[in-house]
Amino acid sequence: MPLDTSAYSLALLRVDGRRWNELRRIHAQIRTQAAADGSSYLEMGHTKVMCVVNGPSEPGPRRGGVGGTSAAGSGGGGGQSKDAEVAVSVVVAGFSSVDRKRRGKNDKRILELQSTISSALGASLHTHLFPHSTISISLHVLSLDGSLLAALINAATLACVDAGIPMTDYVAACTAGSTSTYAANDESADPLLDLNHQEEQELPGLTVATLGDSDRVAVLVCESRVQVGRLEGMLAVGVDGCKQVRGIIDRVVRDKGRRMLQEGTVEKGVGLEDMDLD
Amino acid sequence: MPREAEPSLNERQFVLQALQENLRLDSREADRYRPLEVTFGDEYGVAKVSLGKTRVLAKASAEVTVPYADRPLDGVFQIATELSPMASPSFEVNRPTETEVLLSRLLEKTVRRSGALDTESLCLVAGQKCWSVRVDVHVLSHDGNVIDASCFAVVAALRHFRKPDTSIEGGILTVYTPAEREPVPLGWLHSPFCVTWSYFGEEGEMALLDATRAEEQVRVGSCTISLNRHGEICQIAKLGGTPVEAVILLQCTAIALTKVKEFSAYLDKKLAEDIKRRDAGGRSAELTAENDR
Amino acid sequence: MEVDQQHPLVLPGDTIDPSLIPTHKKQPLRLGPGLRHIPPNAIIPTVAGQLIADHKKNSMWVEYNGGRYIPSPNDLVIGQIVRSAADLYYVNLTPYTSSATLPQLAFEGATKKTRPILAPGALIYARVTLANRHMDAELECVSGSTGKAEGLGPLTGGMAFDVSLGLARRLLMARSREEGGVEVLELLGGEGLAFETAVGRNGRVWVGSESTKTVIAVGRALRETDEGDLGVEQQRKLVKRLIREMR
Repeated sequence: MPLDTSAYSLALLRVDGRRWNELRRIHAQIRTQAAADGSSYLEMGHTKVMCVVNGPSEPGPRRGGVGGTSAAGSGGGGGQSKDAEVAVSVVVAGFSSVDRKRRGKNDKRILELQSTISSALGASLHTHLFPHSTISISLHVLSLDGSLLAALINAATLACVDAGIPMTDYVAACTAGSTSTYAANDESADPLLDLNHQEEQELPGLTVATLGDSDRVAVLVCESRVQVGRLEGMLAVGVDGCKQVRGIIDRVVRDKGRRMLQEGTVEKGVGLEDMDLD
Repeated sequence: MPREAEPSLNERQFVLQALQENLRLDSREADRYRPLEVTFGDEYGVAKVSLGKTRVLAKASAEVTVPYADRPLDGVFQIATELSPMASPSFEVNRPTETEVLLSRLLEKTVRRSGALDTESLCLVAGQKCWSVRVDVHVLSHDGNVIDASCFAVVAALRHFRKPDTSIEGGILTVYTPAEREPVPLGWLHSPFCVTWSYFGEEGEMALLDATRAEEQVRVGSCTISLNRHGEICQIAKLGGTPVEAVILLQCTAIALTKVKEFSAYLDKKLAEDIKRRDAGGRSAELTAENDR
Repeated sequence: MEVDQQHPLVLPGDTIDPSLIPTHKKQPLRLGPGLRHIPPNAIIPTVAGQLIADHKKNSMWVEYNGGRYIPSPNDLVIGQIVRSAADLYYVNLTPYTSSATLPQLAFEGATKKTRPILAPGALIYARVTLANRHMDAELECVSGSTGKAEGLGPLTGGMAFDVSLGLARRLLMARSREEGGVEVLELLGGEGLAFETAVGRNGRVWVGSESTKTVIAVGRALRETDEGDLGVEQQRKLVKRLIREMR
């Protein structure tokens, strides 16, 4: 096992020198693509993703190759096509990870990611305001170092904010893990926040996405074997991490908004009162 | 492509209204499964599971192949799912719907990635020969909760399955027919089962187990939890949908564990019964015949 | 109903014993569903089922249970609105089939201004006015002769249950107890449950009531009667059991 868990118990530091409750550096930008209705770029450590949002648009003459699963984007509500459809496509670049692997277009893992993101955002976006239309979110993974789903959800949220699509609140996501392997039943195992690729391979972990500042979990994905007793600790750390992430991406949006006001992109006086300017 | 038939407004409203009053259309309690029934075929490795009107058939089979180059010591194990028009006219052959992709991913994570089957025991000659075990899942009729039924069927089929016995002498691999040597069971490590919760209401505050199709059509979210009876989570999938309080999810997991223990005991009982049934006219009878001579 | 000499079981293509074909001096012979006349004088069944001959009305038809509903004129059906067009609604009678049409003015007292607005997914109780092989069926929610609704129209609240075509037809018989052998609804009513029903020939039964419990009980009674093919005596037992469970 390349990741020596005994080293952790000595210094309480993880392989990349973080403590158990520290996030990796999150850097984000919005409005990066001029051509899109909304766009964002997000780094969580070495995981780097870009997101482009188009729409909501009425389905005109059927454009070919609108990729991705067209999951019924609503959170299960409504009659047919009464809500906007959230179509998500995820492209993982060939150079994103160490071993260059070609992933087929119909990789089930990617399809699952797409449908998860679509359904998670669909629950927050006010899709009922745009009947018979499509919000297409396309995500590109440039570099992969763990917490992929979380990074994708955060980037998509940011891009949707940029596109000005009404939503209930941010959907913020992060991962959590546990220092014990599934077999070891030791009580001293610490939960960990925000796993990198190496930790993801070795340790049990889960991805959590919450809605805004609440404890309400939109996405909970666990793909590794773990004792049921560990779940509570991991979930608590994950939910807490989501709140931190929400704070960070909220700041990104506000900073951008302030700069846009200063640079005059937005006409002065429009919505100035509502803007938090300090 | 035919769309899945939508329930009418009246049905939608009524199902939700009834749930508000803690009533379900079939008068079940919220955490009660429909009657679960498993039957085994005459052949080894065929399991038919019925959960109310949902029926799923799983068939396990094995053949000798060459292992993957990057995993010379492991056998090959795959699960193939098929949702055909037999289950509902909205499914088409060879065009996987989202339901089917998610189902196959869930089974993959629950059974394959959790290491329920000991794939190393499938290796015959390192790097050259191994068993390839394949489970085909066919959904025969769809009345909700296909996931739990399919997972149960896969586990039941694999545990019921017997692969031909083999031996290696002087580098020569011999596969014995059932007549020569009794087939042997697969190397099995633990039995994971899926338990799917469906959530209803504005904030997902109502949780139901084993939703029927009518209920599935009006739910706002679902969460599938896979566990084994030792209390190990193999997989959790709440793939979007309306956000649900974290505390509710923890409660759901605890209840799921008790359900999984029931499933586990039921499957053990059924497998034991099946072995006894096969044995009645089989080896023990033969043995007594030999003693008489 | 038992298979007997009077009502034999027929299969598609069977020859029908001439003694069973009703004869009447004045009225012409009328053929119902499941029978086909091949000139000059052969009558063959086209579906498997029970051959019924009505000597008084000089008609005969084949009773069968199952398959998909095929609209025929004057049937009462429960439809589900799919979408609305300029002056008509598209209505689904059975899922996965092409829809029937219902003119927006075919409601009681409907004018351009007062016609009912129905959302997609709403249920209506309607009569089939036109059905032939190459066209979508047409429906109406008002009697053409009297201009009255006569019980037809939008169904609000309640719950629609799916039943087999056979049960739906038996429920619609004028004397469903004697001829159809279904008594559940009367029995449930006799036990003091207050509910209303609308039976669609297309295998749907709508049940409405103030109490959710009642609707569920009626739905279960129908479903179990249908699936278990219960006789009148068993239906009584079923109703007693359901009533007991409700309390």
